[in-house]
Amino acid sequence: MTLSTMLSTMAAGMLRTSLIFVLTLVGSLPLGMAVALLKKSRFAAVRGIVRVFISVMRGTPLMLQLLVWYFGPYYLFRWSIRGWRFPALILGFILNYAAYFAEIYRGGIESMPVGQYEAAEVLGYTRSQTFLRIILPQVIKRIMPSITNEVITLVKDTSLAFTLAYQEVFSLAKQISASQTSFMPFVIAGVFYFVANYLVAFAMERIEKMMDYYR
Amino acid sequence: MIVEMKNIRKQFDGQEILKDISFGVDSGEVVSIIGPSGSGKSTLLRCATFLETIDGGEILYMGKKAAHTDASGKTQYVSHKELREFRSYCGLVFQQFNLFPHYSVLKNLTDAPVEVQGRRRQDAEETAMELLRKMGIADKADAYPYQLSGGQQQRVAIARALAMRPEILFFDEPTSALDPELTGEVLRVIRQLAEEKMTMVVVTHEMAFARAVSSRVIFMDGGVIVEQGEPDEVFGNPRMERTKQFLRVFER
Ligand SMILES: Nc1ncnc2c1ncn2[C@@H]1O[C@H](COP(=O)(O)OP(=O)(O)OP(=O)(O)O)[C@@H](O)[C@H]1O
Ligand SMILES: [Mg+2]
Repeated sequence: MTLSTMLSTMAAGMLRTSLIFVLTLVGSLPLGMAVALLKKSRFAAVRGIVRVFISVMRGTPLMLQLLVWYFGPYYLFRWSIRGWRFPALILGFILNYAAYFAEIYRGGIESMPVGQYEAAEVLGYTRSQTFLRIILPQVIKRIMPSITNEVITLVKDTSLAFTLAYQEVFSLAKQISASQTSFMPFVIAGVFYFVANYLVAFAMERIEKMMDYYR
Repeated sequence: MIVEMKNIRKQFDGQEILKDISFGVDSGEVVSIIGPSGSGKSTLLRCATFLETIDGGEILYMGKKAAHTDASGKTQYVSHKELREFRSYCGLVFQQFNLFPHYSVLKNLTDAPVEVQGRRRQDAEETAMELLRKMGIADKADAYPYQLSGGQQQRVAIARALAMRPEILFFDEPTSALDPELTGEVLRVIRQLAEEKMTMVVVTHEMAFARAVSSRVIFMDGGVIVEQGEPDEVFGNPRMERTKQFLRVFER
């Protein structure tokens, strides 16, 4: 196998890795906010469920969670899991990252000085206006460094998709390396992750800069 | 009467902080509230501006009841929706300014009028610029709060409260967080508002200012109003021993 066929075979894997990355963020960033808000629900039962969800998501390996989401329906209900590989993968990633993001959001929200809420209340803002107009924009700025950390971890975590034999970069690298008895696929995969992380770090830094207009 | 507080009671953790306080403010009055730390001055303002709920008594704005204690002894507030109307009658200037750091000075002044009161953006901006000129900081309209001195920030906070066109403005120690050389500029704008007959209640430790600007002075201690009257009376010839004691600390 020439280097160029190796590269073109692995390019498909790079695309799949990017797909996992994008779908996970698109799903987990908003879902994390919903989870963070539910954790402050009036109903103790809701708070309890959310607390258990977060601690399970953070307290067990993502690899195990992926296996459970994929094989769970079969072992529990004897459902056919044909075509379920990719949905299970994305579901597992989104729920896991939503839990981490929820904790980051919660920390950010709790770090806001009470004076911001009081000023908004006296001015007559409703609760949702206060949250959306006054609190949330400031929270996003405060938590941006933690979000960046999490996003960079996600780039590397996408390789866990190999657990479900999903053909992303890392799985392909392993397969090609074995069949061609070559070390090259791992080098290519390594360069890919490194460049991806570099781009992510660059993009996040730009976003942080955009919010630098106030302190 | 713009606001009437009748027999207000408030407790925190079972401890009475406001013990049967009654006072009212007429249109155009400037009332100063003085008293030692912990006497309940801030709590009183926070009850009047609905940041805290009272445990007993009555709050009226423009003759309309916002809260009262019913026959069974429970304190009832009007609905959330109605309370928003009462909130629009009063403004509050905090000791710590509490400006919105992510908004420019202009946006701090226009956001609530537009989003809460539904005013047209252009009108709100004109009003805001006029207020900033009055506060002497029109050139800071596009600045962000962190770029301003404490005195400038507090003047923005006063302008933000005025932009809502309240009937009455409450101040909780508006100069206490400022360096001494910056208190003058803030006191000057409050004095100017007093001359324009803006109805105000000012909690302050600036005794000379209170004496010069207010139409009435209230001395609070231990959750009660110990003494009140014209500033020259309260400062020049206090009747109560407790008031004399308190004022003596401020003389040198
Ligand atoms: N949210 C709260 N929870 C519990 N206790 C409180 C709360 N707010 C105020 N208190 C207590 O109520 C008392 C009166 O406080 P308040 O802030 O009204 O006093 P103050 O007259 O404004 O004092 P200062 O001049 O120091 O500002 C204090 O003993 C304070 O500890
Ligand atoms: Mg106080």
